Amino acid sequence: MREEKLSRRDFLKLARNGLLTLSGLLGLAGLLRYLSYQSQPPVPTEFILGAPTDYAPGSRTVLSQVPALLIRSTSGFTALSLVCPHLGCTVDPQPDGFTCPCHGSRFGLQGQVVHGPAGKALTVLRVENAPDGKLHLFTN
Amino acid sequence: MRRLIVIASALLLLTLLGIAWWDGHRVKPIALIPTLTGKEEYCLTCHSDLPEISKSHPVKTFGCVICHGGEPLALDATLAHSTLRGGANPADYSVVQANCGGTNCHSGTAATFSDDIQRSTTSIQDTYAGAIAVMRYTYGAQSSLQAQFGTSAIQDPLSTSGITSLKMFDPQTETNPELRLFGQNCLTCHLSAQPLQNGGRYDHFTGCAACHTPTQAPDLTSVNTKTATLVHQLTTAIPYTQCDACHNRGNYDLRTMTFQPRTDTATTRLQDYYQPIAQFTKCEWTLDCIDCHTRTEAMGDGSLYSSKLDIQYIQCQTCHGTLTSLPKTRTLTDPNDLAFRLAQLNPVVTLQLGDTILVTDKGEPLWNTRLLPDGTYHLVGKATGQVFTFKPVMGSGCLQNPDDQSSASCHQCHSVQR
Repeated sequence: MREEKLSRRDFLKLARNGLLTLSGLLGLAGLLRYLSYQSQPPVPTEFILGAPTDYAPGSRTVLSQVPALLIRSTSGFTALSLVCPHLGCTVDPQPDGFTCPCHGSRFGLQGQVVHGPAGKALTVLRVENAPDGKLHLFTN
Repeated sequence: MRRLIVIASALLLLTLLGIAWWDGHRVKPIALIPTLTGKEEYCLTCHSDLPEISKSHPVKTFGCVICHGGEPLALDATLAHSTLRGGANPADYSVVQANCGGTNCHSGTAATFSDDIQRSTTSIQDTYAGAIAVMRYTYGAQSSLQAQFGTSAIQDPLSTSGITSLKMFDPQTETNPELRLFGQNCLTCHLSAQPLQNGGRYDHFTGCAACHTPTQAPDLTSVNTKTATLVHQLTTAIPYTQCDACHNRGNYDLRTMTFQPRTDTATTRLQDYYQPIAQFTKCEWTLDCIDCHTRTEAMGDGSLYSSKLDIQYIQCQTCHGTLTSLPKTRTLTDPNDLAFRLAQLNPVVTLQLGDTILVTDKGEPLWNTRLLPDGTYHLVGKATGQVFTFKPVMGSGCLQNPDDQSSASCHQCHSVQR
């Protein structure tokens, strides 16, 4: 069988096409990467907490992802922000209220200031029983 | 022509491969959005190995930029650090207001116990007004010991001491050559002065960090061998070795107007404690300086003074009382009492409402003490956590004249030889 010899012209054509194809693929990958780039997501202001039945009557549940304390009382659901109004540290729930580990502020069970340096109570957050049957908590 | 096209295609591919390689190897930023600022910063990309600076300043809440400055989104070290305020030490007094100030932080009011910057920048430890006044008085440059000059010009219109301003001491304007020498050689230990860094045990930072960022090991085992380390720490549990970095590093020789570094090598805490020429009672060297000396004594009260003697007032009787009177105490009934704030910052004790603690003549809480039911007292070392029990002088066999309350009087019977 006679071996077909690749002409110089064909070789250059093949090399050109190959290189351009690879470059195109690489460029395409870069473009896709660029288009799919996501900047830092904004800080969420709405949290879906699941079904109301997930929380027993009388329960106080720490929601560390917020951070907040979800309280289920006889009158329904309320929530307290666990962000200290002094400088923004996360307060620790205690049996008699809340303490800030950073500067020692203390808050009562309802979030009221017992002593400073915080000058304001813990923020009460809005909790809604949404049409989807789940509790939604809003931090804004 | 075909050959050129192939070469151009190869170059294009190489360039794209180079970009892909660079992208794969470049630093991936670690983002942090501190609660306090809500603004993204990338400092942790390089600095995630640093420990939390203190319990009161968690990085998740504060981030880095609010205290240090810098370019929050830069990933190049030079650019990121180009706008740092104070370099490695944001607590230097030249930048402390921008970095640590604010009404909720360290330049608030005395009523909220947050006037730290006002206190410390007017304190005798920074103004050095006492030493300057003594030297100028000694060499006839002023007619009284009342301070007129400080290390920098400072105004204090609300001063309660009678001194409402200090001019900046400029040795070059002094006519006496001794005062010029003093200015040249002896202004190295106020809190704004660049310390005589020698890589050894007396190295320290400037400003607030001179005390609150310990560079000295808190125990004797490493005394004299340790070197100053850049530490990312702020604390109120300040060991005596940190105070020694200024107060026990040597003496100024007034004959030559030069600083003479300490040359002896201490092997015990007693030898290491303060000037070798001084006398001590046991508690003066077993405790740390901050166990007795209060916040006001160390940081001032916000007014300008002529001498440390005008602001230092703790005596033996503050804790021990006299033959005829017990030391002053206060039962904690106000949850906003400063004692709770200070104990929270350095939790070597757990104070409760109803506890009775010792207080100074000015009412400052000695929050690390407690009156016990048997009439004795506990003191917990602020830097060591060590518990000491002590008794009042009243009812003891002490022969002291109640009017003689200087430490020199107590040292006559209670000094420890070294």
